[in-house]
Amino acid sequence: MKINFAPVLIGLVVLAVVLSGSMFTVSQTQNALVFQLGEVVSVKQKPGLYFKLPLVQNVRYFDTRILTLDAADPESFITSEKKNVLVDSFIKWRVVNAKQFYVSVGGDETRAAIRLKQTVNDGLRAEFGKRTINDVVSGKRDEVMRAIRTQADRFASTLGVQVVDVRIKRVELPASVSENVYRRMDAERKKVANELRSTGAAEAEKIKADADKQKEVIVAEAYRDAQGVKGNGDAKASAVYAAAYGKNPEFYSFYRSMQAYRESFKSKSDMMVLDPSADFFKYMKNPRAAGGK
Amino acid sequence: MAWNDPQWGNKSGGNKNSGPPDLDEMWRRINERLNGMFGGKGNRPEGGAPDAMPGGGNLIGLLAGLLVLVWLASGFYIVDTGQRGVVLRFGKYVETTGDGPHWHLPWPIESREVVNVDQVRTVEIGYRTNVKNEMLRESLMLTDDENIVDLQFAVQYLIKDPKDFLFVDRSPEEAVRQVAESAMREIVGRNKMDFVLYEGRADIAARARALTQQILDRYKTGITISQLTLQNIQPPDQVQSAFDDAVKAGQDRERLKNEAEAYANNVVPRARGFASRLKEEAEGYQKSVILNAEGEANRFSQIVTQYAQAPQVTRERMYLDTMQTVMNNTTKVIVDQKGNSLLYLPLDKLQQMVSQPSADSLSQPASEAASAAVPVVPVDPRSRDAFRSRDREDRP
Repeated sequence: MKINFAPVLIGLVVLAVVLSGSMFTVSQTQNALVFQLGEVVSVKQKPGLYFKLPLVQNVRYFDTRILTLDAADPESFITSEKKNVLVDSFIKWRVVNAKQFYVSVGGDETRAAIRLKQTVNDGLRAEFGKRTINDVVSGKRDEVMRAIRTQADRFASTLGVQVVDVRIKRVELPASVSENVYRRMDAERKKVANELRSTGAAEAEKIKADADKQKEVIVAEAYRDAQGVKGNGDAKASAVYAAAYGKNPEFYSFYRSMQAYRESFKSKSDMMVLDPSADFFKYMKNPRAAGGK
Repeated sequence: MAWNDPQWGNKSGGNKNSGPPDLDEMWRRINERLNGMFGGKGNRPEGGAPDAMPGGGNLIGLLAGLLVLVWLASGFYIVDTGQRGVVLRFGKYVETTGDGPHWHLPWPIESREVVNVDQVRTVEIGYRTNVKNEMLRESLMLTDDENIVDLQFAVQYLIKDPKDFLFVDRSPEEAVRQVAESAMREIVGRNKMDFVLYEGRADIAARARALTQQILDRYKTGITISQLTLQNIQPPDQVQSAFDDAVKAGQDRERLKNEAEAYANNVVPRARGFASRLKEEAEGYQKSVILNAEGEANRFSQIVTQYAQAPQVTRERMYLDTMQTVMNNTTKVIVDQKGNSLLYLPLDKLQQMVSQPSADSLSQPASEAASAAVPVVPVDPRSRDAFRSRDREDRP
């Protein structure tokens, strides 16, 4: 009935110690190196559970995820036109060969990062020295990045790492040059503004002048037509008059004169100083005067 | 490294909710999984514990069994809607689980990570929280024509693949910021300032988004960009006023043109109106002149017919009729010059005498008549003097 627990317990403890010393896991994000008395005996690249000899062997883990190396301050480079530019870049890299990584930089990420940074900066310096600002800012940016990536990756393999990407973030002009850029932009905008205003004024003037021209032409054409119509009326009237008066020109002259007298003298303020010898008064002076003159 | 996390407490908490109801089911699954894993070796000390229970029934056996139960229950976890669970066995990825309750083999065999995949995360570039809060270092960008623009944007992203998100990049969220900034600078650098500032806004955002996504995919970050929104694009503060002025100039130009159009729209139709007035007037004149002529001609024709029958009498009658009308209507002074004596005629006095009785109604006809019959008589005394002096000059 009575069970002696002591041997079972001791056995369990011993088993636990031996197992914990002889098993290890490699995570999805890691590679592991197994050392036996300081010497690398195997590289575990796949995640999972592994066994080792307890006490004699020990394990070192290396994170194989992608790391980002982002410089805190921009570096200054000189382009082919001897202009200074400030450049910010970041490097994406990861450990691919844990053994090489351990051998070359002692498995220290910071040391590897410093060496990568130097290489990339050298690459950038060389690439920028070959190109103009415009190239690195726009046209050849991609090309520059690709060239540096390739070159850095070649070097990186000696460190047991892989350069996934090198990307240029900021390409910036030094402050003093920026001021010049602003001044130039300012001047350009002023130029544009003046041009807009003056072309606006010019177009407005053109529209107005065109309107005035149209007005003059319309009025003049109307005047011409009107005069034509009037002349036509006058001509027809003349023809009518001529046809009628032509029947007796002498009588017309008399008749028209009578009409004119009547029209001309019809106000009391018209003063006539008359000589009694006028024909009109002939009976006034002499009632027996013969008819006619 | 999930098994380093102090998760034990959390798991036993979760166990209280979902553990007890289906212990049998749980036990079967445990056995299946254990057998599947160790190929039926089953010689682990924990495996023996339940067998001891029926035989023993003492306190230690019960305690050991309880401990094992708690340990097994620690494998329970709940994945909320919008989350994914990632299960690792000895550090190796096994499966991704959807929402609902799940169980995995307890520590140290399996571990899990829960990732929120539906939550939209945001990275702000060029500003922080508010557009006013600018980060000039991030927002000022060079364009192709070596101008500088001030650009702020936000990137919204989701986790598409929890496995990649967890295991490929050590800081995937930081990568989004760096890649987005780099991509945007590349896109802006390829375009002229005017395009970036004005017509190309939507285009810039779309291209930056595509490039960012492409690069993130290359890094296998497991992130998908849901949106890239430009918060603000403007010229830098230093030149802002000049740009504003240029915009204003554009508007001034439109205004000037509109004003000119308004002027034209006023002038030309008026001219057309005036033209049609001229035309109508001319036609009216034409008609009236012709009709008048016809009327007069008609009248004359009739008279001339009568005249032909008795010329002498008709002529005399017409003359006298006319003279009578004329004499009736005018002021007359009859002077017999045969007397040979000098005669003083105060014409102006006479004129005044005539015009006074009806001065108000006479002003118009008077001037008309004056121009027709007699010299104008001004009221100015000096010219009256002049008139007199001329009279005097005439006399000798």
